Amino acid sequence: MSKEKTVERRYLPEISQKEMAELKNTVKTASQKIIADNIERMKKADPHRPEAMKYFDDIANLFGRRQQEIQAEKERGKKVIGYMCLFAPTELILAADAIPVRVNSGWYDTSKVGDRVVPVEVCPVIRSTIGAKMIELSPFLEQSDALISVLTCDGMTKLGEILSDQTTVWGMNVPRVKDSNQSLRFWSDEIKHMKAQIESLTGNKITRKSLKEAIANSHRATKAFRRLQDLRKANPVILGRDAMLVNQAYSWDDQKRWTEKTEALCAELEVRVQQKDWVCSPDTPRIMLTGTPMFWPDNWKLPALVEEGSPSGVIVADEQCSGERILNDPVGVDEWSMDDMLNAISERYLMASTCPCFTSKDGNEDRINWLLNKVKESNVQGVIYYVIRGCMLYAMEYSRVKKALDKINIPVYYLDTEYTREDVGQLKTRVEAFLELLNARVDF
Amino acid sequence: MSTTTNKEEFWRWHEYHRIMPNIKPTNKDLITAGVDVGSVGSKAAVMVNGQAYSWGITRTGSNSPESAKKALNYALKDTGLELTDLKYIVGTGYGRVNVPMANKAITEIACHAKGANYIWGPSVRTVLDVGGQDIKAIKIDPTGRVVSFLMNDKCAAGTGRGMEVFADLLQIPIEEIGTTSLKVEQEPEPVSCTCVAFAKTEAIGLLRKGWSKEKVLAAYTRAMAVRMANLINRVGLEPDLVVTGGQSKNVGIVSRIETILGVKCLPTPNWREGALDPMAAGAFGAALLAKALYEKEQQT
Repeated sequence: MSKEKTVERRYLPEISQKEMAELKNTVKTASQKIIADNIERMKKADPHRPEAMKYFDDIANLFGRRQQEIQAEKERGKKVIGYMCLFAPTELILAADAIPVRVNSGWYDTSKVGDRVVPVEVCPVIRSTIGAKMIELSPFLEQSDALISVLTCDGMTKLGEILSDQTTVWGMNVPRVKDSNQSLRFWSDEIKHMKAQIESLTGNKITRKSLKEAIANSHRATKAFRRLQDLRKANPVILGRDAMLVNQAYSWDDQKRWTEKTEALCAELEVRVQQKDWVCSPDTPRIMLTGTPMFWPDNWKLPALVEEGSPSGVIVADEQCSGERILNDPVGVDEWSMDDMLNAISERYLMASTCPCFTSKDGNEDRINWLLNKVKESNVQGVIYYVIRGCMLYAMEYSRVKKALDKINIPVYYLDTEYTREDVGQLKTRVEAFLELLNARVDF
Repeated sequence: MSTTTNKEEFWRWHEYHRIMPNIKPTNKDLITAGVDVGSVGSKAAVMVNGQAYSWGITRTGSNSPESAKKALNYALKDTGLELTDLKYIVGTGYGRVNVPMANKAITEIACHAKGANYIWGPSVRTVLDVGGQDIKAIKIDPTGRVVSFLMNDKCAAGTGRGMEVFADLLQIPIEEIGTTSLKVEQEPEPVSCTCVAFAKTEAIGLLRKGWSKEKVLAAYTRAMAVRMANLINRVGLEPDLVVTGGQSKNVGIVSRIETILGVKCLPTPNWREGALDPMAAGAFGAALLAKALYEKEQQT
């Protein structure tokens, strides 16, 4: 009955069981080492690291506790719905008593496996996710009963098509122009259609009550999320990498537990604010990241370079779909009718997004405004605009962002790289020179 | 000022050291040093109260700490000064974290900015640093601070190492490569491949077609100058423009950049006449920053 036996594969090559097992084993071992190294380095960078981070270190092990929990839930009959872009309406998944997990891949090694299917010019997020599927590496991708693929950038558009060789994929067609009524109508229809698909897969009806509860739970998560980001606005009490890991862990963790643990972390950090117990000197340059998402665990090299550099900086904010965009915006409901809730979900996922896939009369003004607000609120001193090869939309919006930041006299540095580990030496010089430049504005 | 030159090694450039005769350091002076361990050349400079006193330029070996020591010893040679006389040392360049005697590491970008400001004065706004393995375009303010910068991707195209490969291929001594590349009646089309490995293949093809060495070299130099000019344009050209790093001595590169951009670079001082060598701009900058850091430490 399984799909791959009946459907001819259009993209993915056949890999022998033996080769797949070998590759999976090698990559998994390497990945576990990288996860452990990343965490070790984070601990070393902050010897007085918050106690509450222990929980997130545990969840950060992609092959650990969370994988087992999801497996146990699956055995009890729960469905898992994976997604690649933040446009996937997770409230609907939760309301149908299914488990949402984000499945974008941050593994460098699997990007090399993906090279067998698509050329190296393609963005490594895509190549890496394809490679992960080919060798069945990613626990969450393998556990997904269906994937929501949102047609945002070119890479994402084709990624869903390629993955559909081996798994059920539901496309969601996102309109590229936000500020028009017909776009919102179109997107609302996509949301309603997604609701029907989720109900049919899970066999669970999404009711007014279950959806209301799911939205309320997401509100609680957003509250905790914002509390954490607020704590990063003043003198630093947490390293950027720790906050980034907490933010990202939301995309595969159990929602309620994540909320509790994040609240606990915030409580601990608030005590440190009281005690003026800063994680680094308050005159450390305050950095904001924007651009291509940075997926755990391999794509952690830039944050590590910033916070371990000589001189070092501290990441206080980001404008990335792997970071602060995840939970920043709540679903705004007026009346708790099914229609009103669905409309609110449509609006939240379309209008609040600052993804560069959008264009409109004023250009992607929402993203610019977010960036400018963040710079002001978080007292940002320099912005690193991060682009990985093949990430066209972010690369193309750079000039516009630079002009906007130039106007308010905030230095921005365009850092282009790949998933590879080989360019770390060169990146180090570039990052440190940027940090020196920021220091020199007050120093030397 | 002499080193043994093996006739077969066309890439080999002069390693030398120099002492400014008009400065006589005493123990009341603040003596600092900068050590710039690049991927191809290691440079060290000693400054007395922020004035260049001596410097040495050597080839980088396989071991960064050894290269750093070698360069600094070369700069100290015949000065009567010893390592212990140096109050503060800044390490810079690709091997900056491996400069064992350094008090602090600073990127070559900040050091070249400061060094260019020292060599040419406060009018410099744009610095093109052509190193052994990378190229940087740096915009600076009148005090020599970095305003913004760009670096090419990891590729030897147009860098010192690429030029060394061509010197060997065409059997032209590296120090004559600039003037030789200008010995063409008409500038040829630039080679189409910027990658050193491919450009080498393309050059061999052109030689077989009967092109002269000079013409092939002109075509390669032109292509590299176009790349450098693009980088300068991307960072935003603002006069005065200067070139630092080993390629500052390559008149073929400098004059072509001037033609492409339509501006004159401030002239490269002649090291053979004892002037400050822009190849060591990073080391001069590092020694100046060492002075600033030392003074700051004394205040607190």
